[in-house]
Amino acid sequence: MMRARLLAIGLCLAGLGKLSAHEASKGSAVLAQAVLANGEERTKLLDEFGTEAAFADSALVETWRRGEIWIAQLPDGTSEAIVYNGQSGTGAASAVRLRDAATITFDLAQAGPSNPDRASRKLLVKLTNVLALKHPSDRNRADAAKEIGLQQDEEGLRVLEEQLPKQTSDAARRGFEEGIALAQLKLTMGEDRIKAVNKLGELASLTSRDQLTAMLSEETAKPAEEQDAALIKAVSTALGLIASHQKVVDGVATLFRGLSLGSVLLVVALGLAITFGLMGVINMAHGEFITIGGYTCFLVQSWFISHYGSSGSSFDRYFMVSLPLCFLAAAWVGWLVEWCIVRHLYHRPLESLLATWGLSMILQQAFRLKFGAANVQVSSPSWLAGNYDFMGITLGWNRLFVIAFALVILLGTLLVMAKTRVGLQLRAVMQNRRMAASLGIRTARMNGLTFAFGSGLAGLAGAFLSQLGNVGPSMGQSYIVDSFMIVTVGGVGNLIGAALSALGIGTVDQMLQPLLGPVMGKITTLLAIILLLQWKPGGLFPSRSRNLEG
Amino acid sequence: MKALWIKLVASLFAAASLSAARGEDTVKVGILHSLSGTMAISETSLRDILIFTFDEINAKGGVLGKKIEPVVADGASDWPLFAEKAEQLLTKDKVSAVFGCWTSVSRKSVLPVFEKNKGLLFYPVQYEGEEMSPNIFYTAEAVNQQATPAVDYLLKEGYKKFYLIGTDYVYPQTTNLVLLEYLLSKGIPIANIGGGFRKDAKGEIISAGKYTPFGHTDFQQIVAEIKEFSAGGKACVINTINGDSNVPFFKEIAAAGIKSDNCPIVSFSLSEDEFRALPTKDLIGHLGCWTYFMSLDTPANKKFVGDFQTWLTKTDYPGIKKENRVTCSPMVLSYDGVYLWKAAVEKAGSFEVPKVMAALQGGLSFDGPGGKVTSQKNHHMTKNVYIGETLPTGQFQVVKSFDNVVGEPFLKGTFKKKK
Repeated sequence: MMRARLLAIGLCLAGLGKLSAHEASKGSAVLAQAVLANGEERTKLLDEFGTEAAFADSALVETWRRGEIWIAQLPDGTSEAIVYNGQSGTGAASAVRLRDAATITFDLAQAGPSNPDRASRKLLVKLTNVLALKHPSDRNRADAAKEIGLQQDEEGLRVLEEQLPKQTSDAARRGFEEGIALAQLKLTMGEDRIKAVNKLGELASLTSRDQLTAMLSEETAKPAEEQDAALIKAVSTALGLIASHQKVVDGVATLFRGLSLGSVLLVVALGLAITFGLMGVINMAHGEFITIGGYTCFLVQSWFISHYGSSGSSFDRYFMVSLPLCFLAAAWVGWLVEWCIVRHLYHRPLESLLATWGLSMILQQAFRLKFGAANVQVSSPSWLAGNYDFMGITLGWNRLFVIAFALVILLGTLLVMAKTRVGLQLRAVMQNRRMAASLGIRTARMNGLTFAFGSGLAGLAGAFLSQLGNVGPSMGQSYIVDSFMIVTVGGVGNLIGAALSALGIGTVDQMLQPLLGPVMGKITTLLAIILLLQWKPGGLFPSRSRNLEG
Repeated sequence: MKALWIKLVASLFAAASLSAARGEDTVKVGILHSLSGTMAISETSLRDILIFTFDEINAKGGVLGKKIEPVVADGASDWPLFAEKAEQLLTKDKVSAVFGCWTSVSRKSVLPVFEKNKGLLFYPVQYEGEEMSPNIFYTAEAVNQQATPAVDYLLKEGYKKFYLIGTDYVYPQTTNLVLLEYLLSKGIPIANIGGGFRKDAKGEIISAGKYTPFGHTDFQQIVAEIKEFSAGGKACVINTINGDSNVPFFKEIAAAGIKSDNCPIVSFSLSEDEFRALPTKDLIGHLGCWTYFMSLDTPANKKFVGDFQTWLTKTDYPGIKKENRVTCSPMVLSYDGVYLWKAAVEKAGSFEVPKVMAALQGGLSFDGPGGKVTSQKNHHMTKNVYIGETLPTGQFQVVKSFDNVVGEPFLKGTFKKKK
């Protein structure tokens, strides 16, 4: 049972194929000895592990790095290395023994995590790279080949050349070729070296850029008669190729990052686009609805940790579970706020600004009293933690997720507005309250529902923001200005306008950042927005809703 | 209105009777930290350790036979308020010494107040140097007790490219300029220093590295730049980002697949106390450099940590958080500061600031939790420097230590560029 769970964890984290207990046991027995040993003996044992280990054992190395291999002192005076993923404490506990996968019980007070020291970790990195050459995923094999090539030793070059013909996929072959060429840069001379340089240029290898640059400056520093003209030409061409490829990569990546930042801004601002844009309530407490979402996510996570431990597939489900709860929690508070405060102030915008501002401070203090002044952290589920590599552009899963997430809630909101009866009534109320009322629509109820819906969307934003940073009493404050900015730029009362303005601001921000730095980039973006609003006071897509006039 | 008067008179009476009861055998000492506002998260821990230290000293008979009576002032993360509170502590409460300040801007704001009123301030948090007030004693790490030893270690480990990133304020900006000079003096070409430079009209570099505003959350562009910078290997990152911005930074680093084995990040503003709110699994193997780690395996440190934990369970001082507490370098430097002050007072036989300062300048030693510390003539402290790597538990494991490093505040312009 335990073993199965352990395997599941290993599979989840390393993304491996099949892993049988029998295969693992040979390497793991040596690793168990290494964990218990120190200094030179440990180095010797790790070398031995390198020769004994099967590919599957690299998962165990990762487990060790994460601090999930513990050393337990048993009552008979011996020590055992165990795989244990839990908190320290007292009392009896059971875990799997590293050397033979048998389940043993031990006293928690007599156990503690073992940590590989820096020297061992360096050795282990080398070992796992060699093991990773057999990884089922093309990308992992290619990455490992590059790492080994970068070491530039004969041994590594031999291994790579041996493995190259076995690579069937294009991506993997490119990785191996790059690794081989990298190693050849140092290990070969003359014609062969120029060939390696050409290859690296052809592959547009960013990894080799530093070395090629160094080679070029070294060569050109020599007196004219000693210079190798052919080499200089090859290196310059290769560097040119790498630079032009990198330019394309940077351009595309910047667009992607703009899209992802825009999506974050959209998720944050969409709720406000409804409460402020459609209903016209200047809701200064919008940020606190985001915070409610964040803390709800934290509470759900804490519940999952206490029931399923802090990793594994059950734990990873917490985020999906928390999303609807975050929406409902924030929507419920939003409904209460509308009923208690906002509904009395529909015709008094200044008072509603002051009242919601006061409410924002009350809520912040309430969070502080309940959860403490220090921020709490929400850890990302493992399926949001990795990244996808596309032609040298790193696309983080969390970033892809936020783009999809923004798209889904935007489409969902638009559908509700356009296709449902509630949406129709809502639009009617927002356009002309008295007329809607005289046609039998319960305007008070619609107001409550709309405000709750906008607040719920803010709660969803909070759930997502908890994946990017910490959750704290004042986390919403940092987004309130951005939210108002987006709604205003997009044109108050226009959801599509808000979406486009969020994406536009995100992209402009990301494009300016590399040129001007984060601080000046932000200032320039804000200046541009001020100028834009001078030119188009109603925002990019001004709507002609009547509630703004009266 | 009437009620207010009654309250005022009553509190005056209470204050008078209190000081009468304590009488002559106490000495007032000020604590000046932010107990509210953004800095409260870090600074409250320093208030706690100072109260602990005073209790410890009082239990053993006090200083020169007088019990220490703490006067706690809340700077509220508001820099002008720090100056007001300092003025109050010095002129109204007439404290013999003040322990306080965290950010450099709060220190710069109280400095003229201490110089005008001839007070004495002990400052405990790593800082950028380039300062030596006659009325401040810096138990803090100077740049050569944190930043340059860390760079020495990285150079020795074979790293050849350094990316500088920090929050946009005086400490990271100054430290990175010093580091730039230091790296150049060690033969690192300027092309291998990442983050960008800003030059003034004459072409002199006035800012090195990448800077983000306080509370910055979007690190996509910067992390992409680091990834490109480190693609060829042998690269590392020097991180002086302050506060909560570290969370999105390290999450983005982890998402981009940058690992401590390939590209270690050494952080100067992250101690055990900050780790409590960070995703430590994203930090495994990244480095820290301080003059104290909670994990130091010495009898003095074990006793210190144990005593502090026991005190936490017993104390009835209001507002002290009791669960999940750790110790860290700024806390220990506050602790060391109190004991050095005690030693100086005892040597001088007086609480008068000039005499105490003279005793401190003469060189006094104290065996603290982080090893022996000695006060220097230049108002800084000789102490051990430790480099550690982060464990999943949020503790450091020492990988290298430097013994008795002399604190040197003025470093700018002292490193000669290698030809």
